[in-house]
Amino acid sequence: MLRVSLRNLLVNKLRLFLTVTAVTVGVTFVSGTFVLSDTMLKAFDQLYAGLTSGTDVVVKSEAAYDADIAVTGGQVRPMDDTIVATVGEVPGVAVAEGGVTGFALVLDQQGEAIQPGGAPTFGTSITVDRRLAGAATFRAGRAPSGPHEMVLDARTVEKGGYALGDPVDVVLQDGPRTFRLVGVVGFGETDSLLGATLSGFDLATAQRVLGKEGVVDEVDVMAADGIDAEELRDRVAQVLPAGIEALTGAQVAEDGTQAVRDSMGIFTTIMLVFAGVSVLVGSFVIWNTFNVLVAQRRREVALLRAVGATRRQVLTGVLAEAAVIGLVAGGTGLVLGVGLAAGIRSLLDVIGVEIPTTSPAIEPRTVVAALAVGLIVTMVAAIAPAWAATRVAPMEALRNAVPAGGGVGRGRLVAGWVVTGTGLAALAGCAVVGDQRWGTVLATATTFVGLVLAGPTLARGMARLADHGPRGGGWRMAARNVARSSRRSAASALALTIGLTVVAAVAVTATSLKASVSDAVSGGNRSDLILEPAGAGLGVSPSVARLLRQREDVADVVELRETAAQVDGHASLVTAMDTAGLDRVIDLGVESGSLDDLAPGSLLVGTTAADDLGVGVGDTVTVTFPETGDTDLTVVGTFGRGSLIRASYVMTLPDFSANVTSQLDGAILVNSTPGTDPGRAKAAIGAALDDYPNVTVNDPADITRKAQQSVDQLLGIVTAMLLLAVVVAILGIVNTLVLSVVERTRELGLLRAVGGTRRQVRTVVRRESVLISLLGALTGIVLGTVAGIALSRALVEEGVTTLAVPTLTLVVYLVVAAAVGVLAAIGPARRASRVDVLRAITTE
Amino acid sequence: MASHRAPVTPPTTAGVESGDDVAGEYAACARHAVKVYGAGDTEVRALDDVTLELPPGQFTAIMGPSGSGKSTLMHCLAGLDTLTSGQALIGGTDLASLSDRERTILRRDRLGFVFQAFNLLPTLTAEENITLPADLAGRTADPEWLATVVSALDIADRLHHRPSELSGGQQQRVAVGRALISRPEVVFADEPTGALDSRASTELLRFLRSVVDDLHQTVVMVTHDPGAAAYADRVVFLADGAVVVELLDPTRERILDIMGRLDD
Ligand SMILES: Nc1ncnc2c1ncn2[C@@H]1O[C@H](COP(=O)(O)OP(=O)(O)O)[C@@H](O)[C@H]1O
Ligand SMILES: [Mg+2]
Repeated sequence: MLRVSLRNLLVNKLRLFLTVTAVTVGVTFVSGTFVLSDTMLKAFDQLYAGLTSGTDVVVKSEAAYDADIAVTGGQVRPMDDTIVATVGEVPGVAVAEGGVTGFALVLDQQGEAIQPGGAPTFGTSITVDRRLAGAATFRAGRAPSGPHEMVLDARTVEKGGYALGDPVDVVLQDGPRTFRLVGVVGFGETDSLLGATLSGFDLATAQRVLGKEGVVDEVDVMAADGIDAEELRDRVAQVLPAGIEALTGAQVAEDGTQAVRDSMGIFTTIMLVFAGVSVLVGSFVIWNTFNVLVAQRRREVALLRAVGATRRQVLTGVLAEAAVIGLVAGGTGLVLGVGLAAGIRSLLDVIGVEIPTTSPAIEPRTVVAALAVGLIVTMVAAIAPAWAATRVAPMEALRNAVPAGGGVGRGRLVAGWVVTGTGLAALAGCAVVGDQRWGTVLATATTFVGLVLAGPTLARGMARLADHGPRGGGWRMAARNVARSSRRSAASALALTIGLTVVAAVAVTATSLKASVSDAVSGGNRSDLILEPAGAGLGVSPSVARLLRQREDVADVVELRETAAQVDGHASLVTAMDTAGLDRVIDLGVESGSLDDLAPGSLLVGTTAADDLGVGVGDTVTVTFPETGDTDLTVVGTFGRGSLIRASYVMTLPDFSANVTSQLDGAILVNSTPGTDPGRAKAAIGAALDDYPNVTVNDPADITRKAQQSVDQLLGIVTAMLLLAVVVAILGIVNTLVLSVVERTRELGLLRAVGGTRRQVRTVVRRESVLISLLGALTGIVLGTVAGIALSRALVEEGVTTLAVPTLTLVVYLVVAAAVGVLAAIGPARRASRVDVLRAITTE
Repeated sequence: MASHRAPVTPPTTAGVESGDDVAGEYAACARHAVKVYGAGDTEVRALDDVTLELPPGQFTAIMGPSGSGKSTLMHCLAGLDTLTSGQALIGGTDLASLSDRERTILRRDRLGFVFQAFNLLPTLTAEENITLPADLAGRTADPEWLATVVSALDIADRLHHRPSELSGGQQQRVAVGRALISRPEVVFADEPTGALDSRASTELLRFLRSVVDDLHQTVVMVTHDPGAAAYADRVVFLADGAVVVELLDPTRERILDIMGRLDD
């Protein structure tokens, strides 16, 4: 039997290729994701191990909890710098040096900010004892000393076009300053830390310019000869006050890697979701292909059964074929995945995220996952068709059986409509009730299952609609073919449905998000200008707000800062704002209590968050800051319109400063003096902020546009990823068409004999393909739109407050799907038009 | 049964009038037709210098032993296959002068076909199968003519059935209907009764006869059944790719007689 299976596989190489590809795409995603994240973790392991190799013990404040490092910058409470001396006196300590880290934005020689996408721009103190620096070494020059010297990482030096001795402009928390470049730092072979820019100063200078006078963020300790790191850590811990901890260098390296692992986790999850979609689509293609293969081979199977093959042998035969396809797909996907990982790494490099170099990490887990996904998906998808093959009666070998689509049981259809109806009703329910993420996903999946069951009816309905085309146009014959093999047509269409459902849902959600942004700006904003850090920068120096307040043409300046914190145990983002002028720059939509009561010791809570926590005006909530721990604040009001500033909690700046070290502003909302021309004010303020090239001055329209651009970018990336799933679906359609053309050789020959031109034959196949594509696209777009609406309603808290359906985009998807149908049909149609008329009509 | 009509003028199709022949003397014609399959050792001369004229309005049967070239002759005359040398003409049109597309359109507009089996598209109803050539041409079949054909075929009540719901005899009659729908210059039938039982065969043959007598069509039928051939006006006998004998106004006995002699 195995030999028969293998030979079957090789008979049609095109079909083999299409089938394998269907699974390979998903496997490529899976293995690519694993290889990429493993490689990056390995690289960071090595990097952190190198950086901390000279440090035996690190002393720093304990964090109240592990907050999102992307929001807090990893800042822990600074310690009084007398701690350095205290630690230095512990027996066994060879060297103990304090260190600080903070915001420092380097400008290039043209005065533009050097701000790599997404990566931080930090300033830090440089250790005096180079042994503490581990793998961070001077590639050129020397350590900085005194208030006028600095060092930079090799990458920033290269980007800024600097040479040793050059003056370098740096924007700091309290404004711009100029230093002389005296050294270039490298990290082993790597030029930068994940693309971050690093400005190094001596400790005293760093403390002053980074806003950390008299304090240190950490103490780095080197043990005397013969003292073990753990031993020393325990000794140091004895002398530390409460809230301050001692860790070994290895632990710190591990924590660093863990942080990278956590941020990789999100990326990995997203990639695996894409992989999941592709795998699902691929499994449909496989299922369909095997169904057709079994249908076409009924006579062959019957013959095998007639000459004595058992059911089990037939089953094993088909499954063996599936297994070979699965393994080939798994292997190919593994190899392509390694390539994909390399591709994404170089892409990250291009956008400025430098990843330390190391060889690709192919863990056994990745190999197993790739092969298992390939094998299991293929085998599972082939089980039903294989089972159907065992049901072939030996008698069929003798009859002149025409492979037919086979009837669809009434039970299945009824079940299909019931499940589809239930799913859609549930989706509608989710949309009405709102806030139902998992409900939405579940209802969408349910509806899809219903569509799978009811698919053949849908295909026939579609065919009935198309049955009335113009004469000779081929619509009728195409429609009849779709109706005849309605199961097969539905299965190929449904593969497309999956991709388009997700694409449409994402499009609806993204459009709603965009509409929400402009609604929030037009509805909630009262300011003339909003100043923000450019790109993904950490923040705006508070000196900018000071500068603005001195200006004649500015009436209101409201600073806004935010940090990660827990409110009554729930992780959230908390916002702090100037109370003076607050209601003149933004309409928070206060629903209860009063904005006037907002003072230190109190806060405002968004209505949704208030409902979730079950608190109202007068209640007390506990805000846990990562640096300082618990603070109790009284709720003095609730508001409904925080989406403009992404705020669920608004507190005062004094409370914020008491608990957060960073003094950087997340945004500054500005009102110009009445009578000032807004356009002129914008230009004037922009000019006044020449020294702060990282600050952008935006009017409300700019804010809307920027937010919408970033949504569009995200939408573009997601759509591009999902297109791969759509490509798989198209391969499935090609596969189905090729197989059905082969199956219909005689019919096509007859058509040619009685006067159908080659072009007409091609048209019939093309129309069939278009019908299948449209069926998939229509169901996908409808389901995706409904799901997108429900999803938007579930993301109200994330700022999706307005619902918008991108009708034009959806129509474009539909047109593209039809075009795709035409493309998919090119090969099969050509094949169909080349049937040998005589062979088709002569009876043996 | 069928209404009496004047002989129809064939629709004109792009084609080349062949030199010295006057169109209209015959419906179809083969001249020194040679068809060779394969080459060298495996060479088969399926047709070996066949010259044959088929006058309009006549029912011609082609007989001969298996492998004598009957189907090949028919395929070449009907523009389904090309000759190695010699001429095949429909009306005045030399098939060799036509492109594949022109030949296809000629088949659609000027010829009719009935094959031994698998004549109908399973997805189309009987009526749709009948009107298929007209549909392919983007035309509506002449409703009067359609009614005439349908009533002659005696399948009026089965028109909206799919082929799988029709008996073998009904299927072949639908096929004849399809062959007649464009009022072709010649209807070619390759063993149309081959897959039918004797009652259905008889009905079909009677019908073909009436197609010639009442509808004034030209029919060429390949058969190896002497009883079937007896319905024709003329029987042409092939052997080893050549015409050996012709018989006018055949009877079953005379056909059997000739077949007997050919076998020797
Ligand atoms: N496509 C082909 N290739 C090679 N030989 C063929 C082909 N078609 C027919 N022949 C040969 O040509 C001869 C005539 O065949 P055919 O016209 O089918 O005979 P008939 O219909 O009288 O039984 C036979 O010897 C047959 O084997
Ligand atoms: Mg024959």
